[in-house]
Amino acid sequence: MDQISALLKRAMPFQTVPEDLLREIVKIAKWRSYSRGDLIYNVDDEAEDIHIVSSGSVSHALRPEAGSPELLERVMRPGDVFGWAAVFEGQRRRLAKTISLERSEVLQINGEQLMRLIRRMPAAGDVIMSRLATMITKEFAATPAVAARVPHLQVATEPAPQQGSGVASGWALTTFRIAQWLKSPSPYLMVIGFGVFLGLWYLTVEVWQLPRFADMPGLTVVVKEMFSEQPTYGLSVYTPEYYQHIWASIRRVAIAFLLATGLGVPLGLFMGWSKTFREYVFPVFETLRPIPILAWVPLAILMFSGSETPVIFLTFLASFFATALNTMLGVESIDESYSRAAYCLGASKWQVFREVIVPGAMPYIFTGLQISIGVAWFSLVAGEMVSGEFGLGYVINTSYTMVRYPTIVIGMVTLGAVGYVTSALVRMVGDQMMQWRVRELALGGR
Amino acid sequence: MNAVLENLRSRRMPNIATQGAIRIDDVVKIYDPDGAAVMAVDHCSLDIPAGEICMIVGPSGCGKTTLLNAIAGFHSITSGSISMDGQLLCGPGKPKAEPGSDRIVVFQNGALFPWKTNLENVAFGPLMQGKLGKKEIYEKARSMMADAGLSGTEDNFPGEVSSGLRRRVEIVRALMNDPKVLLFDEPYRALDSLTKSVMHEALLEIYYKNKVTIFFITHDLEEAIFLGHRLVIMTSRPCKPKKILEVDIPHPRDYSVLTSPRFRELMEETSAVVHEEAKKSFAAGEKEG
Repeated sequence: MDQISALLKRAMPFQTVPEDLLREIVKIAKWRSYSRGDLIYNVDDEAEDIHIVSSGSVSHALRPEAGSPELLERVMRPGDVFGWAAVFEGQRRRLAKTISLERSEVLQINGEQLMRLIRRMPAAGDVIMSRLATMITKEFAATPAVAARVPHLQVATEPAPQQGSGVASGWALTTFRIAQWLKSPSPYLMVIGFGVFLGLWYLTVEVWQLPRFADMPGLTVVVKEMFSEQPTYGLSVYTPEYYQHIWASIRRVAIAFLLATGLGVPLGLFMGWSKTFREYVFPVFETLRPIPILAWVPLAILMFSGSETPVIFLTFLASFFATALNTMLGVESIDESYSRAAYCLGASKWQVFREVIVPGAMPYIFTGLQISIGVAWFSLVAGEMVSGEFGLGYVINTSYTMVRYPTIVIGMVTLGAVGYVTSALVRMVGDQMMQWRVRELALGGR
Repeated sequence: MNAVLENLRSRRMPNIATQGAIRIDDVVKIYDPDGAAVMAVDHCSLDIPAGEICMIVGPSGCGKTTLLNAIAGFHSITSGSISMDGQLLCGPGKPKAEPGSDRIVVFQNGALFPWKTNLENVAFGPLMQGKLGKKEIYEKARSMMADAGLSGTEDNFPGEVSSGLRRRVEIVRALMNDPKVLLFDEPYRALDSLTKSVMHEALLEIYYKNKVTIFFITHDLEEAIFLGHRLVIMTSRPCKPKKILEVDIPHPRDYSVLTSPRFRELMEETSAVVHEEAKKSFAAGEKEG
């Protein structure tokens, strides 16, 4: 009994099944074992049972559509579900040929009986079915037409998850991925990593008071100061100044980043696309690029009045170079056969630029933008330390001169957090704009 | 010449293309990297009648792709001329042909745009040329994909389907433009032999339904004999026809042809010639491509 429910909980479609339904399913499941080379079922056999591998392995050759001579082969391992044609609407015929590759234990659930159970509890049942459909499209690479044959129970309270292109909306997949992530060691390793880092900080500064660390602000001091309603040095998460500084920095980075993207992407595209343009511009570009941002400070102050524009200019500069260079490399990375194919298909030069060059360079452009937002923060702080009246860099610099050491660390921690969020935002926008890439990578770059 | 053409036509099943005859006349191509002139194509002449499947066989790096690129309009030629249906594509005074949708290349590594869905890829040609309304184009694209057994994959990106399916989508994308000639640059090179055999039958099926001339580059002799009306075996670089062979196995063909005695005979007849050229090419250390 326990073994069956444990196995079901490992199988993707059944993972979120409530206990009562699970118990019912356990009752109708039965074990079967196969020896090496046994045919479990063949294409067009009557589909009665849905199968879950418990041990061993099974070869699964799927015919993606009727009459298609091609077979998609996969090896099913413990926890994998196959034989889902047993719950299809309409004719239940096998779409695949499955052969046991070694001695394998397989759990079988009769499709008819399973559907009867599920109809009794449509809310939970529909989750199973939509997860099954997701699994079929994502893991078996079957056509959406196949997945669409998984029965969909009409549950009034829930929106249909299988609408649109038929490629599963991904909600089931997202929760599945989060569950998988929590099961994997990575979140715990992350916690341990942070723990070791913070622990070392605490020990070296406050407990052991090692020579070089003795004057540093300690972990507990910083945390107390940061979350104190009456901070000793005047800055904590409860003071409005804290948010003014954050806002000032974010505003500068946002303006500089948008300007850098707006100018850097087109410049990079044209440098990559037109050899002549590149010969004019690239040498100048490459001469200016290695000049450190700090070296620009005097000129920036001379050129722009006030304290705001020089800082924005400095931030812009670093971002601009990173974006333009990566965009240019992106254009160069595009396989020539794409533009050749486009010319063959009757595209004009401008159409090739719009339809091939721009989308083809997109992955590199977004890599560039991630670097760009990083260096934007980097040069922002440099700029704010030199000129400026607000901002996190300003906080760090003035806290140093005014001997408010814990506040320095508050500024640094805040910079790290805000910087992390902004680059995550850039990554999310990139994923949104390049669905093709996300889906390709999800399949392991097949 | 006409008698030969008539002979070829009568064997062609079941449609007879009237357009897409390619004449390659004394073409020479010399590459000149760093002053060291390399002759890739040496006084090559070849007549391909409309509707023929002409298989160009030669060792890797012999210069057959150069010839294809000249027809497609990607590269210039040094001398000679290439014409289609009597119209000059490139020749004296016009070293490079204009690429156009009457001659479409199916590339070695596939060139479906990975950022467009399969349907958008198929619709690309007509959309760019602005020939029809958007709605009609997508309708036509859908129905052509359905004919080629590609229903259900319209909204997938090319990266999400198998390489065999991708090749089929690419051919359908070409056919959307009613091309006169399809130029294949070893398109099945990277496929395993099982998928390959499936692709061959699918290609023949498409050919029987559409009026096109096929110029097909390969180094796979079995593929060449199975598909072609005619084999043109090329010398290793510089490239020119060494032996031209009529494949007298009637179309339509299916995979049973592979085990027929005549197929074996033709394999024997040609493999020695091909092997000899491959050895020369290997000895010269030519780079692939």
